[in-house]
Amino acid sequence: MLEMTIHENSCRGCQLCLDVCPTDCFVFDEQTQKARVAVVENCIACLSCAYICPSMAIRHKDYHQVKNFYRNIEFSSRMEKFL
Amino acid sequence: MSGSKVRLNTEWLCDCGGCHVAIVDLHEKMLQVLQSVEILKCPVLTDEKDYPEADIGIVTGSVRTEHDREAAIAMRQKCKTIIAFGTCAVYGGFHGAGLAHSREEIMDHVYRHSPTTKTDTLPNNSISALGKMVTPIDEVIEVDLYLPGCPPHSHFILEGLSSLINRTAPRVHKETVCAGCHRVMKKTAVTEIQDPTSSYADGETCFLSQGFICQGSVTLDRCLAPCPNHGIACSGCAGPTMQVLSEPTRDLRTEISERMSRLTKIPYETIKTHLEKSAKTHYAYAMATKMIGNKPTFLIRKWIAEREAR
Ligand code: SF4
Ligand code: SF4
Ligand code: SF4
Ligand code: SF4
Ligand code: SF4
Repeated sequence: MLEMTIHENSCRGCQLCLDVCPTDCFVFDEQTQKARVAVVENCIACLSCAYICPSMAIRHKDYHQVKNFYRNIEFSSRMEKFL
Repeated sequence: MSGSKVRLNTEWLCDCGGCHVAIVDLHEKMLQVLQSVEILKCPVLTDEKDYPEADIGIVTGSVRTEHDREAAIAMRQKCKTIIAFGTCAVYGGFHGAGLAHSREEIMDHVYRHSPTTKTDTLPNNSISALGKMVTPIDEVIEVDLYLPGCPPHSHFILEGLSSLINRTAPRVHKETVCAGCHRVMKKTAVTEIQDPTSSYADGETCFLSQGFICQGSVTLDRCLAPCPNHGIACSGCAGPTMQVLSEPTRDLRTEISERMSRLTKIPYETIKTHLEKSAKTHYAYAMATKMIGNKPTFLIRKWIAEREAR
């Protein structure tokens, strides 16, 4: 089952995830002024939200990852070496 | 018990010294580190000119001179694990902006027509000559681990060192500077890019929302976001996010323009053009790395190579 979480402290409340999600998975919590996952079942794992989020606060787990053929191989091989 | 301690060498190449100060700046936490680490070579703490055999080698600074190159190779030969420490070592650092100038221009500006000194002589002995390019250290030696930051905040230094010493997996954190910023990002009706030298931003709202350029959303957090939390927009000193580095089509200027144009009424193209015009400033920290320098749309390296060839 796909899981999606928003790291609450990192959310800046920009609502860009609400703007880009094609399946309306998010709602904006007026009280906390932060985004919240409302219906994770609708998520098609397009990752648009994860990419637009300025804080990189949205994480997905257990989804089918489509590998980008245009990834920078040189950097990708180093990515796991970052502290 | 010094026999069982982890032996550490550090060396600085072309840099400002700030990363070494950051290591010393661990303050009392240094004592915690010293319980398990023996520092054999460290330019700010020891007088060791040679390169002793060590387990961990921290290299700060980028490679610009023949000395830098030799020192990096010597560290690699004597240390089992090499950490590229700080933005200079990882991406070339802010003097990567030197790539926007020819060697003659740099030498001339620094030694001959410096606005703050009266000397007019080029050094011709005792120092090694300026190389053609600034490069991150991994273009010269194999690097095992990377810790960007200018300098990295002690929180990340300690976490990185502890995981190495205790042989545990570091909790690699991929959030951006925005994640640690206290400002609120909201949609506004701002229609023009603001100039930080002539107008003030309020302290509660995100710089982008107010029309000021801030690199927080394209910068990996290795600093705990001090600048935007103290009234200054982020200039990206810790280097780009994993997203920008791994995907050739995503770039500092396109990512900022995308977000800012959605937050304000400033058109995407206007922001992108603005960032291109000031590329030397915005790309300085990572310009020297191939991940940024060789992006299909970023042409600064080509311009410089053409200039040097003339
Ligand atoms: S991954 Fe796509 S579908 Fe899923 S929440 Fe994000 S934007 Fe919506
Ligand atoms: S895009 Fe990120 S920061 Fe913006 S509201 Fe959504 S989760 Fe929060
Ligand atoms: S990364 Fe920054 S602080 Fe560290 S040596 Fe380079 S310029 Fe100085
Ligand atoms: S863009 Fe800058 S001001 Fe806005 S949230 Fe990110 S770090 Fe803070
Ligand atoms: S400029 Fe940005 S990355 Fe550098 S210390 Fe300030 S907030 Fe951190």
